[in-house]
Amino acid sequence: MDIINSFLNTMADLASDSGFAGFLKDGGWKNIIMILISFLFMYLAIAKGFEPLLLLPISFGMLLTNLPFADMYHPEFWEYLENVPEKTGELNSHYIDYERILQHGGLLDILYMGVKLQIYPPLIFLGIGAMTDFGPLIANPKSFLLGAAAQGGIFFTFVGAALLNMTAAECGSIAIIGGADGPTAIYVSSKLLSKTDTIGVGTIALAAYTYMALVPIIQPPIMRALTTKKERSVVMGQLRQVSKIEKLIFPILVTVVISLMVPSAAPLVGMLMFGNLLKESGCCDRIAKTAQNELMNIITIFLGVSVGATTRADKILTLSFGKVILLGVIAFSIGTACGILLGKLMYVISRGKINPLIGSAGVSAVPMAARVSQKVGQEEVPTNYLLMHAMGPNVAGVIGSAVAAGVLLSIVQV
Amino acid sequence: MSELQCCAPELMLKGTESNLGGGTIASVVITGLVVVFIGLILLIICVSIYGKIFDSINKSKDRKSKAEIEQKLREAAKGSVVPEAKVAYNPPTVEDGISDEIVAVIAAAVAAMSEASGKKLVLKSVSRQKGARSSWAQAGIAENTRPF
Repeated sequence: MDIINSFLNTMADLASDSGFAGFLKDGGWKNIIMILISFLFMYLAIAKGFEPLLLLPISFGMLLTNLPFADMYHPEFWEYLENVPEKTGELNSHYIDYERILQHGGLLDILYMGVKLQIYPPLIFLGIGAMTDFGPLIANPKSFLLGAAAQGGIFFTFVGAALLNMTAAECGSIAIIGGADGPTAIYVSSKLLSKTDTIGVGTIALAAYTYMALVPIIQPPIMRALTTKKERSVVMGQLRQVSKIEKLIFPILVTVVISLMVPSAAPLVGMLMFGNLLKESGCCDRIAKTAQNELMNIITIFLGVSVGATTRADKILTLSFGKVILLGVIAFSIGTACGILLGKLMYVISRGKINPLIGSAGVSAVPMAARVSQKVGQEEVPTNYLLMHAMGPNVAGVIGSAVAAGVLLSIVQV
Repeated sequence: MSELQCCAPELMLKGTESNLGGGTIASVVITGLVVVFIGLILLIICVSIYGKIFDSINKSKDRKSKAEIEQKLREAAKGSVVPEAKVAYNPPTVEDGISDEIVAVIAAAVAAMSEASGKKLVLKSVSRQKGARSSWAQAGIAENTRPF
């Protein structure tokens, strides 16, 4: 009899400790919703091909973190504490106990350290730099203006978020979605957001990557609405040939100029340009290939799965999530519109030599936004190839959003 | 950051601050856009300047090489250029079992090599080497050992 009792008790204990019981606990239903959302994202990534390289790791991280009692990620470990370090004697209101995380953290806690310490986004930028050809931008430096204009989305969305009575940190984090640059959005939000904020890094990353995947759907209607048929039909002349030495000088120049001007943009811009210098130098092929492939892939896995882990049901299923989704799409649309409008201005100034459609590529989303410009241009003139012209503003947008991120980090203090 | 701090000391917002006033919001938008534009305009200026410098260098190089070619052509037209001494044509001895196509490919490869080194090479004989690695194996080894 004792044996049966002990067996039944053990089974009951096991059942109450199982994840299934966790779903029945207070608020456990939210985890079920988040798991279903993660399935939806997996479907979008696998079946629809929406940014699968990031959306799939993020959605799997989302699944793992919402499994009750799996304890792979502990949001409470990442809440800022107040501490007076013995060395400085000054109050630090943004203290994170990394010793505790290293001793008691789960796998995803350890991986998330790379996000919180702002290690992954600059390393992703290194890979992006090693893959990017800045030739079209060097050949037509005016493209920088379009890349700058498209950052308007960031700052105008700041207004929207502020009007919704959000904190300065939340405003900055939501606004940066308009830069259409995932790593930059993660970089800024992981620096700014704290436990008092109602949104987390995961929310921002999800919104940023979802909208980046939706660029071909969001942008064309705005592009068509703001341009005339005549403007869309402009066929642009061929770009000049850029010499190797110009391509070599470019990354060094950009690093020096931007880092001196906005030092907080240095980690992103510096690594982006370092990657590009590795590629253009021609003498570091092995390192450049590693940055483009192996390193980039490893960091993408770590970044995706750990950012996905921050989307715990109790953190994400809030009213603020709705606000982020709404403001995110506004940020994207305004960015696109600003680029197009400056493109129109350049069309007028250049007396019809510049096709305003390349302006929308100023939102980073490389190379998707440039492809959209090409596609919308070809709807009017099938033989018009705007792709290389649009790549200029597109890569300028990457630099522009890194600068905008630096500005936001300088203005909003943590 | 220090530059921004000296330009707009009143624009430093606390992350936890909410209820931002209209003036603060407007100054964030203006400062942000102005700084981004200034940064990128600075880059436009730098890139345009060095682009022009290298463009003019390349053009002058092009002009020089064009002028040289034209001069050679003119001299050739005058008949002042002595035609290069003709190389006596000795057909290479080709081992049996090697087709003409293979010989042509080898000759083309040799021609490509001679172009690279600036020397004139002559194909004297074509024969099969015994016991050597296949060309695929050699290519594989070259590919794997190149980085070291």
